[in-house]
Amino acid sequence: MSVALGAAIAVFTGIGAGLGIGYATAKASEAMARQPEAAKSIRNALLLGCALAEATAIYGFVIGLALIITK
Amino acid sequence: MTARTGAAVFPALSPCEIYRDCRHVPKGNEVRSLSNIQAALTEKLQNVTAFTIPLFGGIPVAESVVVSWILMALILLLVLLATRHLNPDHPGRLQSLLEMAVDGLNKFTEENIGVHWRHFAPWLGTVAVYIACANLSGLIGLTPPTKDVSVTAALALTSVFLIYGGSLRFLGVRRGLHKFVEPLPLLAPINILEVGIRPLSLCMRLFGNVLGSFIIMELIKAVMPVVAPTFFSLYFDIFDGLIQTIVFVFLTALFTGDALEVD
Repeated sequence: MSVALGAAIAVFTGIGAGLGIGYATAKASEAMARQPEAAKSIRNALLLGCALAEATAIYGFVIGLALIITK
Repeated sequence: MTARTGAAVFPALSPCEIYRDCRHVPKGNEVRSLSNIQAALTEKLQNVTAFTIPLFGGIPVAESVVVSWILMALILLLVLLATRHLNPDHPGRLQSLLEMAVDGLNKFTEENIGVHWRHFAPWLGTVAVYIACANLSGLIGLTPPTKDVSVTAALALTSVFLIYGGSLRFLGVRRGLHKFVEPLPLLAPINILEVGIRPLSLCMRLFGNVLGSFIIMELIKAVMPVVAPTFFSLYFDIFDGLIQTIVFVFLTALFTGDALEVD
């Protein structure tokens, strides 16, 4: 029971990553609409930011998985 | 597209067990079927040992290593076949395609790494081909090697050697070490922490993504084994696998370019 609770709490990191990626993508599409000629560098920055933001969700997922498997 | 359904080829993985458990458990007994799913999932997450070399008391060879060998053989064969009749004067259709790919890789490396790009492009291209093939290998019924944390850890370690080795090699030891106290000496602890954080995050990102999509695909197959896996595997296997390839190579190139930057 406590293991399941711990894993569920660990997976809550997904909230932060989801909000972050959504915000970054919204801003990036705004920026691309305003300056289509800079679309390439904006896309690169977006990819980097999404990868870094997503890492937090992945950490939570890996921790939750480790909790369930190694219990 | 019979994506992933070929996983049944491996007897050790036996995906049928989940389906059987879900269907034939009597009603009102969901707890048992849930724990069965958990047990089957845990079984699939084990990294299977393919065989053991009878040397020095037995060296276990993991399934991911064997799948990597298969992929290496396939890639080598494809490369040898594709580059058989190269002609600089009359490039064929295939040769033009290959030249475009190599050109794109070179341009990408040059943009992100700068003047010393030529030393890094071959390695980045090789890693991109390997990770892409490894992530997509689920489509032909193999277990993706990148589902094994040892494989992604090895890839991340080579990346970090490339980053800091390149910095010491091309900037010299003095300036390479000086990178650690830039932009402020106050930030030196954070820069040193990054030596450990970068490979950890590269490793966990790739591993977590591949494992996550693997688990989700297994769950989907457990719930609805017929039509749904095809559509979901389009996203989880192909799109996610290719995006993670790009992210890994892009981050490595970016970090390397960062380490080689001269003010």
